[in-house]
Amino acid sequence: MREAGIMLISTALTCVVIGNAYYQRKQFYPTVVHITKSNPSMTVIYAQGFILAFMINAFLRKIFFGTLRAAELEHLVEKVWYAVTETCLAFTVFRDDFSPKFIALFTLLLFLKSFHWLAEDRVDYMERSPVITWLFHLRVATLLGLLFGINLTMIHYAYNTTATKGPSVQLVFGFEYAILLTVVFNITVKYVLHTIDLQSENPWDNKPVFLLYTELIIGLLKVILYVAFVTLMIKLFTLPLFALRPMYYTMRDFKKAFHDIVMSRRAIRNMNTLYPDATTEELAAADNVCIICREEMVAASKKLPCNHIFHTACLRSWFQRQQTCPTCRLNILRPTPNNAPPRQQNPPQPGPQAPPQPPQAPGGNPPIVPLPPIPVPPPNLTELSEEELRAMEGTLRQAVQARIQTLQRIQLLLDAANAMMNQYQTVAVTANIPVQNSSTSNIDNTLDTSTMAEPTASSTAHASAGITDENSQVKVENIPTPSTSKENTFPSTSKEDGSTFNEFIDLSDLSRTETESSNEQEMLRRRRLQKFSPPPATE
Amino acid sequence: MAGSALRRLMAEYKQLTLNPPEGIIAGPINEENFFEWEALITGPEGTCFEGGIFTAKLIFPPDYPLSPPKMQFTCEMFHPNIYADGRVCISILHAPGDDPMGYESSAERWSPVQSVEKILLSVVSMLAEPNDESGANVDAAKMWREDRSEFERIAQKLVRKTLGIP
Repeated sequence: MREAGIMLISTALTCVVIGNAYYQRKQFYPTVVHITKSNPSMTVIYAQGFILAFMINAFLRKIFFGTLRAAELEHLVEKVWYAVTETCLAFTVFRDDFSPKFIALFTLLLFLKSFHWLAEDRVDYMERSPVITWLFHLRVATLLGLLFGINLTMIHYAYNTTATKGPSVQLVFGFEYAILLTVVFNITVKYVLHTIDLQSENPWDNKPVFLLYTELIIGLLKVILYVAFVTLMIKLFTLPLFALRPMYYTMRDFKKAFHDIVMSRRAIRNMNTLYPDATTEELAAADNVCIICREEMVAASKKLPCNHIFHTACLRSWFQRQQTCPTCRLNILRPTPNNAPPRQQNPPQPGPQAPPQPPQAPGGNPPIVPLPPIPVPPPNLTELSEEELRAMEGTLRQAVQARIQTLQRIQLLLDAANAMMNQYQTVAVTANIPVQNSSTSNIDNTLDTSTMAEPTASSTAHASAGITDENSQVKVENIPTPSTSKENTFPSTSKEDGSTFNEFIDLSDLSRTETESSNEQEMLRRRRLQKFSPPPATE
Repeated sequence: MAGSALRRLMAEYKQLTLNPPEGIIAGPINEENFFEWEALITGPEGTCFEGGIFTAKLIFPPDYPLSPPKMQFTCEMFHPNIYADGRVCISILHAPGDDPMGYESSAERWSPVQSVEKILLSVVSMLAEPNDESGANVDAAKMWREDRSEFERIAQKLVRKTLGIP
């Protein structure tokens, strides 16, 4: 509505200006001279020209894109503002060349750029759109062809002008159109890939890889172009401030594309070497749906060390971001150089953590009841007399404590065994020894029992089983490290064999704190774990 | 074949339509765009939000389910874990890595295993049990801790508002 009003006013003004001039001069040529000599008339004519250009632009946009989506419009407005700002900066460098032709060329460039951005958005949207009509293909294909032609023509023109008249503002135009040409190339490749994918019935697993490589090559081309342009500009004119922002973004994108490629390659390599393909029986045993894409797994599935099965392609795209199992977050990456440093940094943690424990234990612990070292369950319950049984099953605090203690010991041993199993598994994976199914299922069993042993601490038991989060990845790393921390604690525990009694008292203390706060309990339990990490030694 | 994000969203939509969880309705606003959903959540029973029907909007990223969607209530809300503009602050909606509040463990963060249904169920439980550690709305968190009856009064007012009762 507003546009229509502006259009009407401007047309009316133009008519008035031309009519007035013609009324005064009566002839064509004097009229033209009159209009060009008068500044107000020229303003009106220029305004009319701008509005016409906008109208044509809107009209073409309607033809090639139809109605814009909200997101597209948002992107467009944002990018147009940047482009206008940069154009104004460019004007400052070429203020000597400032002329209506110059402005017209910049306007044309801006409009062409906007078509490139929109085309890029549209083609990206192909993947997300439920229906792609033939009209869409027709529009995109024609538009890409047209843009390609225009870009080539403009580059040719800029080259010719620069070659004949020496460097001028045409250098900027030539460069801008060269960048746009790479954009057209990029969109075309994407469009072709998406179209091929849409035609096939099955998902095309390698498409993301092709897209990544396209991105990398285009990024490289752009970076080269920008560097060449900036060097040229600095040599011939001055530092092109207006090119710095796009150059920065181009370099950042290139870096990201490079990083993505590296991550993707690593993910593919890990996928091919580390994890076995899921067999049909395993697929049948699981519920056969890939939890990432929620589709059935027929072929090309991988099994992680934690027994979870996913599509190879789904897993690959996830591993590009994170090297954890999507279901249980087990860190599945073998200790590559990338992963090794945190592991080596962690062992010192148990060191300083462990020592404060012994002084704490006797100090903060007024032994209510000196408990005998772990009541070993009698081999045969039937052999016990009634009194003995009653003594064991008393309702006294000691009896309850003793029971809790025993349960804790069991849990502790299970946790430790679990940690060691994990450790062996990691070692096995590193050494490329095929992991036996029985061993992994074993871990699951121990895990289950350990959670059953003490339901209240089930979450903590999970945490220690290595199935956890980042925060507690610190914890988790602590536990798999027994290999290192074992060497430290092993001799000390065997030396302190006499002090086991103290540790039991400490345990009775722990059982009380446990009821007080589960957080504290977890912390303490972890300390205990470190202390008892070599269970055979204390046994 | 359409993109994996689209296929997954379609699958989830189908699943939610066939087996809707109690008290939750969700689906694309427009079936031509599967990346913007709206959801209706009924306030959990036995809480101060009981009886309310809250509207929310879900925006999915192009690489869903590798990245989490964004969720924003489109009705007025007063809750410790909902920003003044309606954005929901729960750990399940945060990608692993960044930790805006500095207390979430990544076990509770986004992973492709999560789904729209799980998000909405988490939001329901968040309505029932606010987490006053995360201060998306500090006033609400403070009131929840210190003046529970006033908090419940405001919540009840909002519930009536969502139902169109003054």
